[in-house]
Amino acid sequence: MKWWKHVAALELRKILAYRSDFWVTFLGQILIQILVARAFWQMIYASQGVSTMQGYTLEMMNLNYLIIPIGTRILTGENIGFFAREVYDGTFTRYLLYPLSVFQYKTITYLTYSTFYVFQLILIYGLFRTFISSSPFMFSDVGNLILGVMLFFVAAAVYGMMAILIEMISLWADNIWSLAVMLRFFVSFFGGGFIPLTFLPAWGQDALLWTPFPYLISLPVRTIMGLSSLAEVSNGVLILLIWILFFWGVVKMMWKKGQHRYTGVGI
Amino acid sequence: MIQVKNLKKNFTSHVKEPGLKGSIKSLFSRETRTKEALKTVNLEIQQGEIIGLIGANGAGKTTLIKILAGIVHPTSGEARVMGFVPWERSNEYRRQMALIMGQKNQVWWDLPALDSFILLKEIYQIPDAQYKYNVEFLAETLMVKDQLKTQVRKLSLGERMKIELMAALLHNPKVIFLDEPTIGLDISAQKAVRVFLRQYQKEFKPITILTSHYMEDIKELCPRIVIIKEGEFVYDGSLNNVQRMMGDEKVLSVTTQDKTFKVNVPRTDLAKKTHQIFEENEVLDLNIHDPSIEDIIESIMRSGVGPT
Repeated sequence: MKWWKHVAALELRKILAYRSDFWVTFLGQILIQILVARAFWQMIYASQGVSTMQGYTLEMMNLNYLIIPIGTRILTGENIGFFAREVYDGTFTRYLLYPLSVFQYKTITYLTYSTFYVFQLILIYGLFRTFISSSPFMFSDVGNLILGVMLFFVAAAVYGMMAILIEMISLWADNIWSLAVMLRFFVSFFGGGFIPLTFLPAWGQDALLWTPFPYLISLPVRTIMGLSSLAEVSNGVLILLIWILFFWGVVKMMWKKGQHRYTGVGI
Repeated sequence: MIQVKNLKKNFTSHVKEPGLKGSIKSLFSRETRTKEALKTVNLEIQQGEIIGLIGANGAGKTTLIKILAGIVHPTSGEARVMGFVPWERSNEYRRQMALIMGQKNQVWWDLPALDSFILLKEIYQIPDAQYKYNVEFLAETLMVKDQLKTQVRKLSLGERMKIELMAALLHNPKVIFLDEPTIGLDISAQKAVRVFLRQYQKEFKPITILTSHYMEDIKELCPRIVIIKEGEFVYDGSLNNVQRMMGDEKVLSVTTQDKTFKVNVPRTDLAKKTHQIFEENEVLDLNIHDPSIEDIIESIMRSGVGPT
């Protein structure tokens, strides 16, 4: 087996290492997020006495908030702080000792987590389809689901590089926790993770078009729901690819300078 | 072979005054301080040699090891380890090198050691037969066969250290950097690690640099020592020579009613000094002996006096 398969297997074993934590993360957290969102939007639709808001029926809104929590996990891969935390505590040293690229290693780790969450998405989706909702949107088109998941992976490449750029600042300023949290907030807000982007004013939606944000969460979610046209998908992929190239260049430049600052000091 | 020429490393850090006032002030302006961790050091080590790097805390031992392992970039100077510039971190170099830090974990904390070893086998491309032999040999010599399937975090400190040693040596490195490998271990675990290292050195003949605060480690393993003080080498030579160079001194260990103290005295002044001590103190016990290696090294570290 190649080393990267072992890294993936090792990461999976880490995910499965603690039984109770696994079940809470795998099912508990997600179900609570989904059920709270359902109750919240049901209340809003009822209080407004409307059946559609900004193009979303209640059923569509429910589906939107079913996909978002897991989709965001596919996007963000490993937990927040995956690079900075190791720089801070000195365990980053191990990647400098191994005869392989630290970025290759981290990419495999990231992809393993993202892939794991795809299975979570399918399972939760199936559970809701079977026991809770009979929405026509649920699995209406498996092709949309596959395309949406693929979009999440392209978006994950952009998010991963944005995250690593922020986390690499830890080579200059030890603690970057607040910056990492801010990035998550911006991505969730401008990506459509908190509310659908159609709720933003038109000028706000236009302003976001050339940024990577709408393509990180909103585009894949809407694609799974069958709400995106092929033109929107291809335009989104093109913009994401441009951002990948841009961030790749910046990451390389920062690493070139930042690695000189690593001291291997830690807890 | 390791060659180090005029190697220098400065670290810059921020200084913060204590207390709340200092914390608030540091939000707006911070004073930076540059510390010379290594001040132009030179060193040459041949293949198969094991040297002990000795110095007080903060003397620069770990910095030198980190530079030679390729983790830290030097401020200036040159270093080559088996022809490689360490901080360029070529894969070829990293496949032949190991760093073991007594205070840091490099194996995965939440998994059994064998899981980490299997990954290391692939990363270092260790052939099956060699991997099997090494796991057997290392586990048996270090007496951790029964611990290989237990989560690393559940092992005792000594067992964890042995697992770290195993993980670092699985690929038969030709250069080994051991930074305080026996720190925090009980006496029997320290002894087991020393016996293992001696055996490993004999069988595989790597270049080894060992730092330790335990003189037993140095005495048992290192025929050559380098003493480092405030970033400078103050002694580089054989361990035996250190004892010989202090051969014209004797140590008086004195116990009085109130205290116990030691005095280093030139052999020629022995009678005079002994007489003086008896006159000035109410002596309960007095011993005259040769200085121990610990005394000599401590004296060199304190005064910086010694042949280089």
